[in-house]
Amino acid sequence: MTEQLIIALAVIFVAAGLLSLVANQFDLSPIPFYILAGLLIGGFEYVTQEEVLVLAQWGIAFLVFVFGIRLDFANVQTVLRDAEFAASIQLLVVGPIAFAIGYAFGDLFGFGEPVRNALYFSAAAVLSSSLVGGEVLRGEIRENLVHGRLASSIHFFDDLVALTLLLVITADAFTADAITSQLGYGVLFIAAGLFLYRHGFQILVRLADGDGELVLVGSISILIAFLAAAEYVGLSIVVGAFAAGIAIRDDGTNTLEVRNGIDSIADFFGAIFFVTIGALVSIPTVEVALVAAALVGVVLILNPLVHTLAFMYEGYDSRTAFLASSSLNQVSEFSLIIAIQALLLGTIVDAVFEAIILAAVVTMALTPAARRWKDRIFELVVSRVFRKQRTRKVDERSEVDGTIDDHVIVLGYGRQGRRIAERLEELDRPYVVIENDPMLWDELRANCRSYVLGDAMSAYSWEKAGIDRAALVVSTVDHRELSETICTLETDADLLLRSESSAEAEQLLDAGAAYVTVPNVVAGRELVEIVEALSTGEREISTLKREHLEMLDAIEHAGFASRYARY
Amino acid sequence: MSEIALAADFAIIVVVATIIGLIARQTGQPTIIAYILTGIILGPVAFDIVTDEGLVDLMAELGFAFLLFLLGLKMRFKDIQEILRPVTNVAFGQTVLQTALAFLVAWALGFDTTEILVIALATVFGATPIIVKILTDKDEITSMPGKIDVGVLIVQDIYLVIVLALFAADDLGGAADIATTLGVILVMISFIGIFSLASSRYVLPKLFRRVADNKEVFLIVAIAWAFLFVAIAEGADLSAKVGAFLAGISLAQLPYSKELEDRITPITNFFILVFFATIGLQIDGLNALLAYWWQAIVASIILMVGNFWIMFYLIDREGFSVETSFLGSINMIQVSEFSLIVGALALDQGLIESDVLGYLSLMALFTMSISTYVIAYNHTIYAKLEPWFRRFETEGDKSDALSHYRDHAIAIGYDDITEQALPKLEKRYSQVVVIDRRTDHVEELEQEGRYGYVFGDFRHTEVRKEANLKGADFVLSSSVEREVNEALLAEVADDATVFVEAERIDDARALYERGADYVIMSTHLTAEKLAEYVEAHTTDRHAFEEAIAGDLFEIAARQRRSRDRFTGQPGVGDRGGEHDD
Repeated sequence: MTEQLIIALAVIFVAAGLLSLVANQFDLSPIPFYILAGLLIGGFEYVTQEEVLVLAQWGIAFLVFVFGIRLDFANVQTVLRDAEFAASIQLLVVGPIAFAIGYAFGDLFGFGEPVRNALYFSAAAVLSSSLVGGEVLRGEIRENLVHGRLASSIHFFDDLVALTLLLVITADAFTADAITSQLGYGVLFIAAGLFLYRHGFQILVRLADGDGELVLVGSISILIAFLAAAEYVGLSIVVGAFAAGIAIRDDGTNTLEVRNGIDSIADFFGAIFFVTIGALVSIPTVEVALVAAALVGVVLILNPLVHTLAFMYEGYDSRTAFLASSSLNQVSEFSLIIAIQALLLGTIVDAVFEAIILAAVVTMALTPAARRWKDRIFELVVSRVFRKQRTRKVDERSEVDGTIDDHVIVLGYGRQGRRIAERLEELDRPYVVIENDPMLWDELRANCRSYVLGDAMSAYSWEKAGIDRAALVVSTVDHRELSETICTLETDADLLLRSESSAEAEQLLDAGAAYVTVPNVVAGRELVEIVEALSTGEREISTLKREHLEMLDAIEHAGFASRYARY
Repeated sequence: MSEIALAADFAIIVVVATIIGLIARQTGQPTIIAYILTGIILGPVAFDIVTDEGLVDLMAELGFAFLLFLLGLKMRFKDIQEILRPVTNVAFGQTVLQTALAFLVAWALGFDTTEILVIALATVFGATPIIVKILTDKDEITSMPGKIDVGVLIVQDIYLVIVLALFAADDLGGAADIATTLGVILVMISFIGIFSLASSRYVLPKLFRRVADNKEVFLIVAIAWAFLFVAIAEGADLSAKVGAFLAGISLAQLPYSKELEDRITPITNFFILVFFATIGLQIDGLNALLAYWWQAIVASIILMVGNFWIMFYLIDREGFSVETSFLGSINMIQVSEFSLIVGALALDQGLIESDVLGYLSLMALFTMSISTYVIAYNHTIYAKLEPWFRRFETEGDKSDALSHYRDHAIAIGYDDITEQALPKLEKRYSQVVVIDRRTDHVEELEQEGRYGYVFGDFRHTEVRKEANLKGADFVLSSSVEREVNEALLAEVADDATVFVEAERIDDARALYERGADYVIMSTHLTAEKLAEYVEAHTTDRHAFEEAIAGDLFEIAARQRRSRDRFTGQPGVGDRGGEHDD
């Protein structure tokens, strides 16, 4: 018995390990490859025995638990503000369409409970994956690009929608009463989680008295308690796990150790979950293939289209809109959780279940690939379709004195951009700011004489900014493709660019930049000077600290601190 | 279908273990005692609401396997090479002498012949999970006594694995049968061992070089490797644990093993809890537990004292210092968890009754709970007894000093910021250690050969220990993550100088409050600099050209340096870019 289970786990992990090597080789997310590993070993009967399914559910519990822990309630509003419009539009447009497709399939193939199955289908179609998509976007988010921020906000929004959906679909019946009571319980659970977060968790930390292992085990006990409570009142364990995650504070002394611990355990059970879910799929029938193909179609084509249009309506330029959308085209891991929950409840037909899993594998694996071709797709399709609209939008939202001459073009209106603009104002030198984040429009209007709200990758924005008459271009944006584009501009202006590393800086210098700032090199030089001054006794460490704090105050008073807590 | 109900037993164990663990923490007892007590309370002895079947058994099994995997991971050959010979001698002598002692005690207490034999074989001293756990918590696992203990335990474990395999074999008719079984076991172990070592030499470095940068894949591939060996061991009819242990050893020889240790430890802690609970669960009831209660106490006391002296004599004879011998011996005064496993097997085979298992369990509990205190206070005890133990001192005892970083400078992250400062730091502090979790950076450092380095994520305890953060004089962090820097500031010595990096002003202030000496803010610095350049460009073109010339020189110099490092590999330093000069 135990031996069989050990062998089952051995098969699961060896398969997952081998395929994650493949994923790693091609720089892809390992998740679709875990599922693929499951598909491959599905024939092995030990793998789908009941005990392994229980372990897989622990995987779900831990995945959601970690999501809950990472959730920062203070930030929810800022994040949602970015996404609410586009995400709601997408929900309202794609949701019903997908529901109709799902219902039509149910009708065609005679599924039982067509409404429920149509709902599962549309959930899988609408939601996108924060695990896979977020991984792909990590670089963009770090570089602070607008489209990375947008996409991750949508992911977050989708995850919250998924949690609500899980509440609804685990109701015994689709009656208003049953659903209301589920939602009521859900709110109660989250309130309990928040209460523990504020008042309970410190007690645990205090009792553990510096023993990280006890805090870890205690956190898992909280998870178990919430899961048990969820089961007791007939809620999905996912809701319990989420509420438990909220209860865990990740600040304080043992934070790093506890979070590392939970991450490791979550990775362990998560792999079991993804492999097992793949193993539950048998060889696809025509029916399954059709449903899966429809789902892939909706996710890969309809979703990005609706997202792009919604973003553009909101005022983002077409490139940003398209790039953000193109990282949102995959089935969410939450959809997988919804599917397996439905399977355990016996309310999903096998064909829909298997189609969702297959579509997830395909779309998750394609996301990184789609990203590689995104620029070409953009140039070939999107930019042509929206060309007219692009120039009109830029005209509408920009303010440039047409006679401006011998001016400075400042690219980006972040901390550095504002600082430079301020200095130019003092010097009374004409300048134009180019920025692509519509969130900054009000500020631009208030503070800058001339600005272009548009995509710096498109030639029109530069034309609008009068690049042919400019004396200097200063870029504060650290994004390689953009820097390369600037180097190809037809202009006599000196180019001051920014880059992440000195290696890239050198290439940009070769490509025609007059100067490239590398913040780390600047900081490194400063550091060397300080270390030298300290070791020769030229400066005192205490005065250094005081001076720096004073300088920070000055910067803050001048309004140059970062405005958003997150960006 | 109910969802978690199947795992209810397991869930109850975790929750109860947490509660007892928190109580035990207030009395200074380690978690392990709490876990064993959890099993006794939940099992037949008291409430009888949990059984050790199904998932509980699986998790216990996994816990033990992960523990041995972890143990293997800590076995870096270059670390134990120097003490391999003495350790083998000690382990051999200890096994023989204390089995004889256990035999005598059992005989004197009046057990019958078969029982005496089982008890003698089962009463092995030195419980791997307890010693490894407590010494790790106390940060002494890599000290000399810790290394000796772990070395002895490993040799002993191999012996016990063989004893177990013998007990588990169905027919042991005569000496010939025993010899064949033994031979098969040994051959199997050596086969797997050779495979593991060969792969650690030829396959694993390349494999893990590729995956080490991706945290999740790294962990999953390592676990897959462990399970591969578990499966092989199962296939060869050996215990799964032997496989896990050998898998761990083969990974231990890689430069990434510290990082891996930190990822595996929590999973082990999680499952090992269940394992210790199942020890308590196996005892049949209160009567069985207490049938031989006074014999168990007498035997425990005699064996604890006797075994201490056996170990002390053996370690001292190998020429280690008195302190090392004392600590190494006093850590080992508890009955091994194997004695319960051997006992349970003997019960299965009908060699003993349940009350003898109760006797063994009681002895285990008794010695384990006392020894946890003893190990926890081992240094204090030695300080008290030192004057008396001095008499065993002889000339020429081995020096126990293990090389370690001291009064050094640590740089977290190897990037444009830290790299420029390293030469200056090297001049001021004799040693410089870089912590970085990117394989390419570590390789660059290796090529450079100038600074020490630790591969791994600073978040991980083992990584910080390896770089001896607590003993550092200067720490420079180029991480902008506030939690990392806060943890850093909490852990460094009070008089250390700490430079950290921050992205936002609020963070910088918070870090200053927590004791940072200087907070580097590259964005603000760059903004300042850029504004200066733009102004120069506007007012005085010549000044502009001059100002940037210095920075351009720096960039070019850095690029030259990184290219020099890769001589023979053009283009590596600049990511394959083209040059038109």
